[in-house]
Amino acid sequence: MQEENKNREFDVLVIGGGIAGQESSLNLANMGLEVLLVEKDYSIGGKMIHLSKVFPTLDCSACIATPKISETARHPNITIFTYSEVKDIEKSGKKYIARVIKKPRYVKEELCSGCQECEFVCPVYVPDQYQYDLVGRKAVYVPFSLANPRVAAIDIDNCILCGACEKVCPTEAIDFTMEAEEIEIRFKAVIIATGFNLFDAHNKPQYGFGKFKNVVHSMQMERQLVPTRPFNAVLRPSDGKMPDNIAYVLCTGSRDKSVGNPLCSQVCCMYSIKQAQLLMGALPLADVTIYYINIRAFGKGFCEFYQQSKTMGVEFVKGKVAQITETENDNLIVRYEDIFEGKVKEAEHDLVVLAVGALPNPDVPDMFKNEKVELGEFKYVKQVDRFACPARTSMEGVFVSGTAAVPLDIPDSILSAGAASSEVNSYIKKLGI
Amino acid sequence: MSNKIGVYICHCGNNISEYVDVERVRDSIENEKGVHIARTTMFACADSAQTEIIDDIKDNALDGIVIASCSPKLHLQTFREVAKRAGLNPYNYVQVNIREQGSWAHSDDPEGATEKAISLVKAGIGRTRFSKSLEHFTISAKNSVLIIGAGIAGMRAAIELAEMGTRVYLIEREHFVGGRLSQWGVLCSLNETGKELISRIYKRLKELDNITLFTGAEVISKAGSSGNFEVEIKITPRHVKTKCDPEGLQKAIDACPVEVPDEFNFYLTNRKAIFKNFDSEFPEAPVINMENCNRCGECLKYCDSIDLDQKTEIIKLEIGAIQVCTGFDPYEPKEGEFGYKTIDNVITLQQLKRLVELNEKQLFLNGKQIHNIAFIYCVGSRQFGKINGNNQYCSRYCCTVAIHSSLIVGKKYNDISCLHFTRGVRTYGKQELIYDEASQKGDIFFHFDENSPPTVEKSGNKTIVKVNDVYTDQIELGVEADLVVLVSGMIPRKDNSVVAILKTPVGRDGFLNEIHPKLRPVETVIDGVFISGAAQGPKNIEETVNSTLSAASKVNALICNEEIKLEPTIATINEETCEWCGKCLEACPFNAISQITHNGKKIASIIETNCKGCGICTPVCPVDAIDIIGYTNVEIESMIIELAK
Amino acid sequence: MTNPGPKILVFSTEKISDPAIDLAGLLKMHYQARAYTIIVPCSSAIKPRWVMFAFEQGFDGVFIAADGTDCPYDTACTDKTAQILTNTQKQMKERGIDPARLKMAAICSVCSEPFVKYIKSFSEYLSQNN
Repeated sequence: MQEENKNREFDVLVIGGGIAGQESSLNLANMGLEVLLVEKDYSIGGKMIHLSKVFPTLDCSACIATPKISETARHPNITIFTYSEVKDIEKSGKKYIARVIKKPRYVKEELCSGCQECEFVCPVYVPDQYQYDLVGRKAVYVPFSLANPRVAAIDIDNCILCGACEKVCPTEAIDFTMEAEEIEIRFKAVIIATGFNLFDAHNKPQYGFGKFKNVVHSMQMERQLVPTRPFNAVLRPSDGKMPDNIAYVLCTGSRDKSVGNPLCSQVCCMYSIKQAQLLMGALPLADVTIYYINIRAFGKGFCEFYQQSKTMGVEFVKGKVAQITETENDNLIVRYEDIFEGKVKEAEHDLVVLAVGALPNPDVPDMFKNEKVELGEFKYVKQVDRFACPARTSMEGVFVSGTAAVPLDIPDSILSAGAASSEVNSYIKKLGI
Repeated sequence: MSNKIGVYICHCGNNISEYVDVERVRDSIENEKGVHIARTTMFACADSAQTEIIDDIKDNALDGIVIASCSPKLHLQTFREVAKRAGLNPYNYVQVNIREQGSWAHSDDPEGATEKAISLVKAGIGRTRFSKSLEHFTISAKNSVLIIGAGIAGMRAAIELAEMGTRVYLIEREHFVGGRLSQWGVLCSLNETGKELISRIYKRLKELDNITLFTGAEVISKAGSSGNFEVEIKITPRHVKTKCDPEGLQKAIDACPVEVPDEFNFYLTNRKAIFKNFDSEFPEAPVINMENCNRCGECLKYCDSIDLDQKTEIIKLEIGAIQVCTGFDPYEPKEGEFGYKTIDNVITLQQLKRLVELNEKQLFLNGKQIHNIAFIYCVGSRQFGKINGNNQYCSRYCCTVAIHSSLIVGKKYNDISCLHFTRGVRTYGKQELIYDEASQKGDIFFHFDENSPPTVEKSGNKTIVKVNDVYTDQIELGVEADLVVLVSGMIPRKDNSVVAILKTPVGRDGFLNEIHPKLRPVETVIDGVFISGAAQGPKNIEETVNSTLSAASKVNALICNEEIKLEPTIATINEETCEWCGKCLEACPFNAISQITHNGKKIASIIETNCKGCGICTPVCPVDAIDIIGYTNVEIESMIIELAK
Repeated sequence: MTNPGPKILVFSTEKISDPAIDLAGLLKMHYQARAYTIIVPCSSAIKPRWVMFAFEQGFDGVFIAADGTDCPYDTACTDKTAQILTNTQKQMKERGIDPARLKMAAICSVCSEPFVKYIKSFSEYLSQNN
């Protein structure tokens, strides 16, 4: 089967298997086009699969993400390369050629049954990136319970090559001799659906992330609210106690020229309000305070959701947080300017959540060999005809979908992905090849 | 009915066999009625095992297959394909889950897990005995679409669909295309105006010969279902046959004695009964509004393509799908709301946009030059607290448009200052940049909350806006303004005839409702009817185009093969026992039941194209005359018998 | 031989509650092995006669893992399933079966933890009231 893969033709290459990449791929496949979806991670699903619930409907994220993931994985017109990266793309006549590197996961996908026997015997223990380092994982591991494909991989950087996994594997799927494979792909159009990066909270040192144990970022809180959560409870890191006075600091890394990002990330207000509502459910006695500049509750049902959180008792303080310091008992002092009262104030909390924003994914231009796709002022992929053809980029046949072009919430990412699929299909029909 | 059944018990490596004694399971079931072959297999899903199963089916002419392995969510489809490849109907395959709901769930109790597996496999065999061969329903579908509304959403969808090979009928209620966007001046963060953008799109649209555009057209009836709708379109004539020469037209317009308020300019100006809203408007011919026309005949003297006797036409179209792009109406404040209509220099944001288009060098309203503007935000949106009204939603585009208008006004007429009375500025995403730009320019932003909205009052000949500003510690401020602009949001179309005809549901906010904002964001519960753009809820231009192109791809995917495949597992009526009572119809969420006469008796009948196989109709039948294929009484009860043993 | 415990029939739904029951297994959350699942498309499609038949055949309890508000077919699913429960419990009373032997709870597609808790407590109830 792998031999077959070495030189393949597709209609469309979709780069990125998050919610936007999946939606674009599914639409294209349903319109009869052959799609190759390349995902750099071990599993498709992107960021959404790791969320707890989604605003404003409070559907559980997995309930929405998993059916789409399995539909994508099962679709006869979609081929998926996980743990693969696009090395380069170049134009060749009316078509494109790309070289895709399938990185070795040291586990034969087709043999692995996801039984996790290897995981139980592996002696290595390292922080689990899928749980945002809240807990540990093994060096050989099934990335996360909802992963697709749900097969193991070996993190070779941390593996001590003891061979325990190899001995225990019932299907002999472990293969330490596996090597990276380069596959040449030909296709007519490409969709960049590479998503966004989270702002690294270390880059806002005033807030003490990484220094104060009880300052966490919003994805770490998100994981504690997920049904498959690591501790089965919301705990503060310093002493494992349930927090009872939680603060959210909005616009961490957004609307902030001092960190080089003046843009609004569009999702942090709403996800913080959502987390606050979930926290009120998980910890009925806890107080939740949200420090904000403006609340951007603009989408369908968002404003109503925001109002609802106020009636539930979430406290909203209009004020920009200047600094966070730590007390002796690991509590935190939030220093902020109360805009309503025009005074600098301080408040003590036992857990602070930094609502980190979105940043562009810097990997995009490197994928292109000769002609490079243009980026806009803030390093997102540039949309050259935003209002008429929102998915169009500076290169003919190269389209953008989802948060690779601009920060977006999930509904808007899905719509943008849908638009990209339409534009790609009509482009291909016009190519006439 | 299957009576030559092959049963396969999967080890799944040792995922199953570590806790479930698969050999014992095999031994316990091999003598069950109908079982012809019983085997265990290391990995049923592996290629080699699949081949073996196919050979078994062919060699032994098996008519049913049971595989006890993992959850059907993983491999039901895989094994149905295996059955198909062996020439067996895929619906004669039953999957039994002895991993997720067997070995793994009961890894603490191997004996229990084994017993359970035996029962589950027997139940699966029981079910297979009663399974029927089923085929997908395939109905033919027309690869053509009716798009309602030729604003940017409708036009963009039309182009994309036409280019993807779908035949498009685009209808517009007005006599000109472009919708709200043609009323817009320079667009935010672009150098293009709304009407330029519309012209550009219209030109692309006219190049495509599989798009038919009807203006002055409204849908008046709909019949049929997904893939095969029949609609009737009423076309109001424009009374002008082709484009007039500009000079003659101008003379005809000048000669028209009728003057009515111009809705295109939000009643800031008047127009004639024969008119075009602006020169470069499309289609190029003007229109005579017969509700305004007094048939004086003056215009006929200057333009020979006018025909006052053109008649309304009704045409019928057969299409496969419908896309609704009917857009929004701007919120019009009530009389006296922030001084609207009671104070002469209070206008809406939409009126300001027109005013800026109409005033070249300096900004005038009612003969008075404007030097400063006060914008009051969230008028008609976010109505709670002390703000009256039922629109709780945020209209999402207005903050950006108001701030952008301030920038435009500043650039076009360089001596105007702007004050903004906001409830928290929502310039999300990249729009943040213009908020920053306006602040840099010197615009001042005040913030009020829903419990202390500003007031607009007349004091002598001055208009004063008063507000309790939260930034200045709630002290009441009074500001004089030459012009007060009410930043009014979006509301659902007041004319909801389309909703009434298509029966698409609306949400609590009154906008058209999708099935699910993430899973099926442009689909409605009426199969084959799609929605997009601001008809669905407030959206800016880019969001509108994203949603409309998204819907276009769903439309194309539905009908591009000119056939629609439907699952065969739908409801079925027992014609003997049914005594039409209508309860099933009442319970059905999909309108998939109709009343027919069968052998002189009124009975229920399933509309196969509408039925989704949910089965909600089955428990409500008083005579048990309705079943879902695959979930019939014999199938379920045969499983219960085996499981209870 | 020790008493193997009560026998429970679970009606799960294809798209919503059955995935949660699968996930319970995936996470190796243990529950009574004598709980058997029959999948239906929607919890509002369960016929009272099936439930009654299960009791006749010797099941000690029936658990409906309902779609609740996540139902992909009908926003009124919760009410409709509840109606089926009420109707069935009426029939159970008439035949002298304790109506508490039929239980319903909405199980979302990742509600594996609640599912396991329900089955455990239901099983306990059934053993105590045998």
